This record gives sequence, structure tokens and C-alpha cells, in this order.
Amino acid sequence: MSERAPLLVLKGVSRHFGGLVALSNFSVALEQGEIAGLIGPNGAGKTTVFNVVTGVYAPTAGEIHLAGRRIDGLSPVAVNRAGIARTFQNIRLFGGMSVLDNVLVGFNQSAEHGLLGALVRSPRAVRESRMFDVAAMDLLDTFGLADQAAQVARNLPYGAQRRLEIARALATRPKMLLLDEPAAGMNPQEKAELMELIRFVRERFRVGVWIIEHDMKVIMSICQRITVLDHGEIIAEGTPAEVQADPRVIEAYLGEPV
Amino acid sequence: MSSRKSDILLPLVAGGPRPWVVTLRSNILLPVLVVLMWPLGRLVEWSPYVNDYFSHVVLMVGISVTLAVSLQLINGVAGQFSLGHAGFMAVGAYMAGYATKTYAPDFAAAPQTADAAMVAAFFLALLVVMTTGGGLLAVIFVAVRRTRRVHRALPGVLAVVLAAWFVHDISAARGQAELPWYLLWPQILARLGDVFEWIMGMAAKAAPAVNSIVPACMKSGTTLLAALLGGGIMAAAAGLIVGLPTLRLRGDYLAIATLGFAEIIRVAVVNSEALGKATGLSVPPYSIEPNPEEGMAGQRIFPWIYGWMLITIVVVWRLANSAKGRALQAVREDETAAAATGIDATHHKVLAFVVGAFFAGIAGGLYAHLDGYLNPNSFGIMKSIELVVMVTLGGLGSISGAILAAAVLTWLPELLRAPADWAALLLRPFGVRGAEDLHMPQWLVDALAAVGENRMVFYALLLIVMMLLRPRGLLGGRELWPQRRTLHARPPAATEDMA
Repeated sequence: MSERAPLLVLKGVSRHFGGLVALSNFSVALEQGEIAGLIGPNGAGKTTVFNVVTGVYAPTAGEIHLAGRRIDGLSPVAVNRAGIARTFQNIRLFGGMSVLDNVLVGFNQSAEHGLLGALVRSPRAVRESRMFDVAAMDLLDTFGLADQAAQVARNLPYGAQRRLEIARALATRPKMLLLDEPAAGMNPQEKAELMELIRFVRERFRVGVWIIEHDMKVIMSICQRITVLDHGEIIAEGTPAEVQADPRVIEAYLGEPV
Repeated sequence: MSSRKSDILLPLVAGGPRPWVVTLRSNILLPVLVVLMWPLGRLVEWSPYVNDYFSHVVLMVGISVTLAVSLQLINGVAGQFSLGHAGFMAVGAYMAGYATKTYAPDFAAAPQTADAAMVAAFFLALLVVMTTGGGLLAVIFVAVRRTRRVHRALPGVLAVVLAAWFVHDISAARGQAELPWYLLWPQILARLGDVFEWIMGMAAKAAPAVNSIVPACMKSGTTLLAALLGGGIMAAAAGLIVGLPTLRLRGDYLAIATLGFAEIIRVAVVNSEALGKATGLSVPPYSIEPNPEEGMAGQRIFPWIYGWMLITIVVVWRLANSAKGRALQAVREDETAAAATGIDATHHKVLAFVVGAFFAGIAGGLYAHLDGYLNPNSFGIMKSIELVVMVTLGGLGSISGAILAAAVLTWLPELLRAPADWAALLLRPFGVRGAEDLHMPQWLVDALAAVGENRMVFYALLLIVMMLLRPRGLLGGRELWPQRRTLHARPPAATEDMA
């Protein structure tokens, strides 16, 4: 298989809620190692795209393929295990658990020891839990969270919680990472660091990244390709420069030249 | 290459003792402790404290701790509010009690009558019948649910038709087929009864041979073990049956559904001739020594109760602190996020219910053989609530908290009943024979008597005060012992620094 084969393909995906068309005939093909953006005004259906891809909603019509495997209609658990991890618009951490445990939950699906192994602490279980500890600490180190590993997740500052959510998503060893407004609520300094981090993640873990973001600076500077959504339909697609120049985008979304 | 998952797990630098050493080390202590319960039981017997009443309270504490810790797994660790724990306990108690009563009625007093093989066969036969019947129902259920995609339902429908035709054929050969094949449910049930009888018949033939293998001194114990495990497995099966359909429910709704389940169990017992209806079921008690002169009542079951308590604590502790336990907590914290992280919520909830119900069933079996009498009213809503109170008071999620609260709350009503007698009991080594030796002033005697009469009021008051002082439970979700979590493994970068 060539490196350039598209990793995530959406073909004519629609989603209706009763009479409301949240998403209609949405098609896109994302390549491995690409950072793609998804923008649009409020209520355009961006999060619906993520929810349909991750199995929260089944598409009303259309097909979704990940690395050649059809994944539409699968449960969120199965989609994640197939290789798509996500973060949420409103942060959803396991608040009462430690920072380290949050990441370790992500490694669960890689575990090969079963219930009995855990109960008798079989050599395999011991070996695996050490392996996961190393990998989790490594991940936390990457995200600058290693010092807070023992803290309860809900006590972390906001920016750190966002980073932890990405770390947890990466612990499931995805091929594709979906970030739903990762920069929301961050200050300019944190945003700059986040952009650097996303680029690094792409290199280090060789994942495709798909970002929903309202901050134009962030999205224009790190995305190679941007899809613009309005009223559930694609109105423009292309490089940041092309999208910025598109009159329909300016009219529907940007309002003024950026 | 492109389809491979990214290689986060590759850079490994793991230290610490060899894994098999860890395995060995962590599994030595428990069997030793369980075996030590036998001499400890003797010690309790010889101590100056012992009387029948005291030892009964001690034994009830052990059973309560087992129940509370197993409920903590469901309510605290997995966060599923269950009000049906008494139901699981009832299943274990009645199944274990019925098995020994029917197949080894005198097993505790006269070991030569013990029949572990028959008790085990009873549960085996029951399981076979249940899985066959349940399997047929499941096939029909799935077939009906899948009717939107007819081609997927076909194998199921075909299987049911074939099974019905097969049963019809057997019935016809026996001259019992008055009904057409598609109205065969009574006959299928009758065939399942035949299967049960057949297995029990085989077991009766094999039993003498099996029993001759078991040494005489272990005959009663083996029978009790078979009954306990059978009761536990039946309770676990009940956990599975409750779990699957009700686990889509959350919070209060789940609580109501589990409450309903426990009531169904209780009402079923009340209406069952075999289980003694509302008058209760007499079970051969295990507390009586073969030679009553030799020891106090109750001491013989001590190692069983406390051994199983230790096993329950260790299993729940290890489960809660394993990868599976983290998944359970993740489900408790946020089901949506757990699903997006690849954690199957239903699977893990059912796991918590099955494991929790198993140990509740064991505790039920022990309870059945402690007094030798079972009454359906001891497994009512109040029992479930009592257990939830223990778990909540100890601190949701805290295993040591559940142990502490279960011990205190089981003992407290007894202490309030007769505080002076308990004081006298504790002072017995100093020559105090009874409450009258304490020479208390009359007003104190009267006050304590008043406390004893209104003990449930004081009990409730103490609960309220404790919840006000410690709103998150005695231990507030933490553990009594320090949670050591040594990272034997360090990130590669840090290892380089050290070198």
C-alpha cells in the first residue's frame, strides 16, 4: 500500500435528525500524516461530522472508510479500536482519576492479559502493566504533564486538561486524530504551544490530524487543507490561501478579510 | 506499513524484579492467610471473650464485610447504583441451602453422609438446563431484534425450528406429542427436566466413587465448598441476567430496576414450595461441631467466613487496581469519553455485576449455613439499603472504607442493644463475670437500658451525624493503607539522565 493512499474517506455522507438536515452529501479524503481543518460558522454541522465519523451517530446515507475498511455504522468503541481517536469540544476527562490513569485507560485495548491474569498478577499482566506505565509516562512527558502524573485530572489547569485529552486519545494508538476545538479557551501563548504540539504529534506518532477550530490564526497556520462547511454543506475546499480568497467563504463565514 | 498502528509502545525500558517473581510473591500470602483462619478460629474459641452471642456477631461482621466489599465494586468502583445486592445474596443463600438440604441433609454433623459430588452435580445440571433454555430464548430474541435485516435472522430461526422439530420427534417417540411442533414450549421444558434428571442419575451412580477419594476429615468441608461455589455461580448468573437488559439504565433508573430484581427474587422464594415459602427454609447448619462438647457453636464456620472475606477483599482490590479496574472507573466517570477511548461500557458493567454478585452469592451461602434457617424477609429492600449505607458511609470507591463501615455498622446495633454486657465482655480477663460486676449506678443502668430499647433511633442518629461530619464517607474515597504505586519503569529520557 502506498503512503499516499487516503487514510480516511467520507463518501456522500448525510445525517438527518427528523426533518433537519444536519449534514448533506459530505465527501472528503484525508491522507496519512496530513493536518486538515474543518471550519464553518456556528451550527454549520462541524461537530456532527466528527460524531458521524466516530460512530456517535450512524450516517443516514453515505460511506466512511478508514485505511480501506468500512467503518460507518460501527459503535464508538469499535470506531476507536479501528483507529480513530478524538477529543471533545467541552473537555471530557475522567475527572476523578489521576492524570496517569487517564492515559492508561487509553492503553487498555492494547492489553493482552485477561481478567484472570489481572487477578493472579500473571507474569504477562505484570510485564504489560509495566510496559503501559513506561508508554504512559513517555506520553505525559511529551505533553509536559509528567510532573502532574499523580494529580487528580479535574484539578489540572484548563490548558493542561486539553493537552491531557489529546494524550489520552493518542494512548489508544490511533491512525487518525480528531480534535474538536483544541484551542478553545487558551491564551495566545498556549495556542502557539498547542500548534507546535500538534505538528510534533503528527511527526512523532505518524497520525493524520483533523481539526475543528474557530481561531483562524491557528487553523490557517497549521492546516495543509481546509474544508469549509455551512448549513451542512461543503462550500469551499483547498489550501488556506485558496479558502481565504474564496468569495463564498468570505460571505458565509469570515464576513471580513482575515 | 501505512495500516500499522503508530509505535507508541516500542521504546521500552522496564526495570524492577522479574515478572514471574512478582507473580509468585503476590500469590503466596493469600493462601497462607486463608489457611491461618483455621488456627485463628480455634484461638477465638479459646479466648476468654467467647460466648455464642459474641461469636455470632463476629461471624456476621465477616459476612457483612464480604457483602459490602463486593457491592463496593458495583456501586463505588464502577459507579452503578445497585439496590439489588440482597437479591444476589438471596440467590446464593437459597441455592446453596437447597442443595445441601436436599443432597447432603446431615453433612455437617455426620461427615459420612456428606455428598459433595451430588451437590456439585446439582449445580452442574442446573447450569446445563439454564444455558440450554436461555440459549433458545436468546436465539429467538436475537432473531426478532434482527428482523430489520432478515438474512441475518435466518440462521437463528432455522436453529429454533430444528430444535423444536427435534424435541417433537423425541416426544412423539415417547408418545407424548399431542401438540403440533410449533406449540412445543411445555414439552421443551419437560425435556429440559429430563436432562436434569438424567444428569442427576449419572451423578448418583458416580457419587460413591467420587466420595471415596475425599478423605473423611474433609468430607463436610468439600460439601460446603461445593454448595458455596454453586450458590456463587448461580448468583453470578443472576448478575448476568440482570446486567444485560438493565445496564442501559443510569443512576436512579438503574437503582429502581435492580430493586425490582431483588423483589422478584424475594417474591419468587415466598411462592416457591421447594424453598419453604414465607415460613422459611431449614438448612443443615455448619456451625455445630460433630461433638458438641468439644467447641462452641459457630466456631466451625469461622475460617470459611473469614477465608472467603479475605479472598473477596483481595479479588476486588486487585480488580479495582488493574487495567480492568481503570476501565470500570472510566465508565463511572464519563461513559461517552470511555467509549471514545475504546472502553466497552456494557461489557465492563456486566463484569462488575457478575463479580460482585458472585461474592454476594458466596456470602449468602455462608449466611445460610451459619444459622441453618433462611427467611425471605431477611433479603428484602432493607437488607439492600443497609448494604448501600455501608458502602456510602465507608466512602464510595474505597475498599478499606467499606470494610470499616461494614464492621462498625454490623456491630453497632448489637453494642447499643446491651452496652454494659459488651463492656463486661471486654473486661472478662480482669475477673468481670457479667454486667452486674461493673457496679454501675442505677441511673446509668437505666440510661443504658433506654438506649438499648431505642437502639434503632440512636443507630439512625449516628448515621446522620457521621454523614454530616464526613459527607464523602468515612474515608472519602481514599484507602486506609497507602496506595503504593511504584513506577518500576521510567521514560527512556529519564533513564539516560541516570546513566
